[in-house]
Amino acid sequence: MKSSNFTAATIRTSVLAIGLALGFSNGVHAQAKPPIKIAAIVPLSGAGAFDGQLGLEGMQAMAEIINAKGGILGGRKIELITYDDKGLPEEGVSATKRAIEQDKVDAVVGGWFSAVALVMKEATRDTMLNFMTSAQHPDVTNKGHKYMFRVNATSTMMSDKYSKFICEKIKPKSVAFITVNDDYGRLEVENYTRLLSACGIAVKGNEFYNRNDTDFTTVLTKLRSLQPDAIYVSAINTAQGATIYRQIKQTGFKGTTIASAGNMNPKLIELSGSSLENVYSVSLFAPDLKNPTADQWQAQYQKMFKNQPAFIGSLGAQSVELIAAAMDKAGDAHDYNKVSTVLKGQKWKTLLGEMSFDDKGQALQNLYLIQVRKGKIVKVD
Amino acid sequence: MPLPLDLKGATLDFILLGQQLANGIANGMGYVLIAVGLTLVFGVLRIVNFAHGAFYMLGGYFTYFAVQSFGVHYLLAVAIAAFLAGMCGLIANQFFFRPLRKEHEFIILLSSLGLSILLTNGSELLFGADPKYIESGFADATLDIGPVTVTQQRLLIFVLATMALAFVYWFIRRTRYGKMMQATAQHPEGAALTGINTNFVHAYTFVLACALAGLSGALVGPTAMMFPTVGDWAVLKGFTVVVIGGLGSISGACIGGLLLGIAEALGGGYISQGFAEAIGYVLIVVVLIWRPQGMFGISRGHKS
Amino acid sequence: MNKRTTMTALIGVVLAILPLLVGSKYYQHMLVIWGLYAVYALSLNVVIGYLGELNFGHAAFFGIGAYTSAILTTRYGVPVVSGPLFAALVTGLIGAVVGYLSLRSTGPQFAILTLSFGSILFTIVNYWVDFTRGPMGITNIPPFSLPFLKIDFTQARNMYYVVLVAVAITAYGCFALMRGHSGRAFIAVRENPQLAASLGINIFQTKLLGFIGAAALAGAAGSLYAHYLSVITPDMMGLQGVAAVIIMVIIGGKGTIVGPMIGALVYVCLLEVLRATGPLRMVSFGALMTLCVIFLPGGLISIWRRHMNETRLAEAGNTTVEHP
Repeated sequence: MKSSNFTAATIRTSVLAIGLALGFSNGVHAQAKPPIKIAAIVPLSGAGAFDGQLGLEGMQAMAEIINAKGGILGGRKIELITYDDKGLPEEGVSATKRAIEQDKVDAVVGGWFSAVALVMKEATRDTMLNFMTSAQHPDVTNKGHKYMFRVNATSTMMSDKYSKFICEKIKPKSVAFITVNDDYGRLEVENYTRLLSACGIAVKGNEFYNRNDTDFTTVLTKLRSLQPDAIYVSAINTAQGATIYRQIKQTGFKGTTIASAGNMNPKLIELSGSSLENVYSVSLFAPDLKNPTADQWQAQYQKMFKNQPAFIGSLGAQSVELIAAAMDKAGDAHDYNKVSTVLKGQKWKTLLGEMSFDDKGQALQNLYLIQVRKGKIVKVD
Repeated sequence: MPLPLDLKGATLDFILLGQQLANGIANGMGYVLIAVGLTLVFGVLRIVNFAHGAFYMLGGYFTYFAVQSFGVHYLLAVAIAAFLAGMCGLIANQFFFRPLRKEHEFIILLSSLGLSILLTNGSELLFGADPKYIESGFADATLDIGPVTVTQQRLLIFVLATMALAFVYWFIRRTRYGKMMQATAQHPEGAALTGINTNFVHAYTFVLACALAGLSGALVGPTAMMFPTVGDWAVLKGFTVVVIGGLGSISGACIGGLLLGIAEALGGGYISQGFAEAIGYVLIVVVLIWRPQGMFGISRGHKS
Repeated sequence: MNKRTTMTALIGVVLAILPLLVGSKYYQHMLVIWGLYAVYALSLNVVIGYLGELNFGHAAFFGIGAYTSAILTTRYGVPVVSGPLFAALVTGLIGAVVGYLSLRSTGPQFAILTLSFGSILFTIVNYWVDFTRGPMGITNIPPFSLPFLKIDFTQARNMYYVVLVAVAITAYGCFALMRGHSGRAFIAVRENPQLAASLGINIFQTKLLGFIGAAALAGAAGSLYAHYLSVITPDMMGLQGVAAVIIMVIIGGKGTIVGPMIGALVYVCLLEVLRATGPLRMVSFGALMTLCVIFLPGGLISIWRRHMNETRLAEAGNTTVEHP
């Protein structure tokens, strides 16, 4: 009697274990023309949630445009499958593996944060077409693989262009920095200290702030007491950036505010109120780029979503645009050797202008000088 | 800090010092409001409420919507937000804490953790993940008190927080309800034996605590941005102050909060911002080595 | 006794052949993550379940173990196989300091104290950028390797066995511990400190020993985690990480061996399964978690226990209650 109950219990446990292991599988749908599945691995919760949302919306708008034109490869539509990576490497890896193994995607777009990008590339190494969007860590391309591409410009590329402009046009006599205490911020301080001193601007000091800080009055008070001509603000996070720009004005600072390259977006302007008026920056995207794809994308975006189209969305959009175009030209969605060769083999006309890739998969993009005028981002010549 | 020898330099240094002190006191008052609610809940309900920061966040969001969507004046919005946060606290207590009153402390802690996850992610769904800015007419306007510049908002925080604390003091010491709170905090079983409805006391204590947290969010919110995960930051600050001041002690929360604000401002201003963040924790270690139960806490060496 | 041993052996066999049953790399990856979390949860269970104290700083030990192993192997060329050992040593030491300062308090005070210490450690790792590279984390951590054996431990199916061995050792260790003198001291201290003290048990020392052991174990788990993921960031020690491991232990069932393992499995599976709910993922998770806490305070293992008790009672046909 007892042993049969015992056996029953054990069998139940084993079945449970195996059942959990085999898990849930997606049904296979029979379709006339199978869609091209692109995994969109974005932060949808946690600290990077808003940026992830903007990036995803950018991708979705571009996918709509391509599908409205009939898709690629003889009528195959682009289908975006979304995964939340929470901005954490561990989640990024498991999402990537699920996308590749379970959902059998044809390409992966992700890597909005550097730490996540660095593990994701290992999960796609030499097996899957992988576009990294905003991550700026050099190892993403230096230690990348043959199917890996990164669309954002590196901070070194941006500082080379921007420092020239600061030296020649803005011409402050002295500058002080407020930067975030991580690789990105440290690189910024290093680059700009070198480049700006070289043209005779006195660097009066630098203060680091932390990723989780919400109040900067103490730091800004300190910087203001150094009496610099200009304060250079390096902030990737929109909420922090807006707080800093406002609080600069609140400390009574009367000099020039310089916004770091690659971080201007409509939400930042909305949150900063008048404190960003007339402030300059550098970006890969501006609303008045006046090329047909950019205009089309912005129109589509505004039809579909409440948010304003922003730089980070444009990176997602460009990734989708390039993947689709390259697959179409190569004639194959799965032969990644062909697709990669095509991607690296020519100049592309995209919504961000004409660009190309180097042999490490790093995008060589246009950098536009921009200024905030009457609350709108405007391209400066 | 070494003072420079020449008089002009010395004057400048005092101005900077005064400015940083003003910064510190303003921030500190915000911390006090958060911490007082937290310590009240612990003292009376014996609950460590990890969702406390979420009520700070809700206070900020209610203020935002009152101002943006309903065009209400900022000061009225603050009052509405504090009230609404308190009401949310009432509901939360009913569903997340009251059913678990007889359970082990861990279970109640986990329940508050679950509540925190629900409120944070639920807010992200309802309000959107994008940061929001609360329009307060006082936020950007500055005032000069002598050589020191403060924004009117920070002055407002100081004034309103002081008023709120005065109210809390009066409520606890002078009203019947407050005395019931004290009795329940000192001896729950004894209080019940004298006919006090402890469920009722728990409920309005929790409402008061959440209202205070909401008030803090409404006041401190305009100095920065509001986003769904700000509650995590708020509750951590709250716990830091409460550990320093002593669990269950309101005066401890007040002094601890101001101490933390000033220490952070001076540390950040004269050493580095990285140090400012760490200073709270250094304070904890220092205080705890000196007095393990916090500055004004009751010694609880044995299991409750 | 015999029934239990046979059951354990059977479960062990199933676990051992699991990667072979499961074809996809994705599931194999999830199995490894589950195993790592199982060891992690078991270590916290020593403090929560056996000692009866709620430790909110445990994530710090997991993280520091990961960082110790990562830094030693990437920067100082220490052989990877010794990584978990060094990790355990360092975290054990830190655990001793934290435990010494915290264990004089109990209950909620202890919880908040450990939270504070955990936050201090998190802040140090997050902001000491020169040493730990702060928020950027440590990358290119070498995969686990055994000397002389050319096994590729970047493959989930291989790493799974390393992790399974760790789980087995930990589970057996807990089992042996609780059967022995120290285990009974833990239970005595947890259930009735005054009585335990009167019997000559040094409460503080007992708790400290348990605490250090738990910390060292978490550190070792963290080290394996680092070598499997190859990138670690301070987030693993942050508030999310803290909440995660506590959830695993309590939802699974504290004070048992199988409980934390089930809790780890549920945590990992649930989060993956809930991907299907899209934007509602975390809200669903929070709701499910709270419901479980409210209605099943003993954890999921209490369902099994209740069932086993009922079966046993039905068989025996009388009202005497056996100790499970």
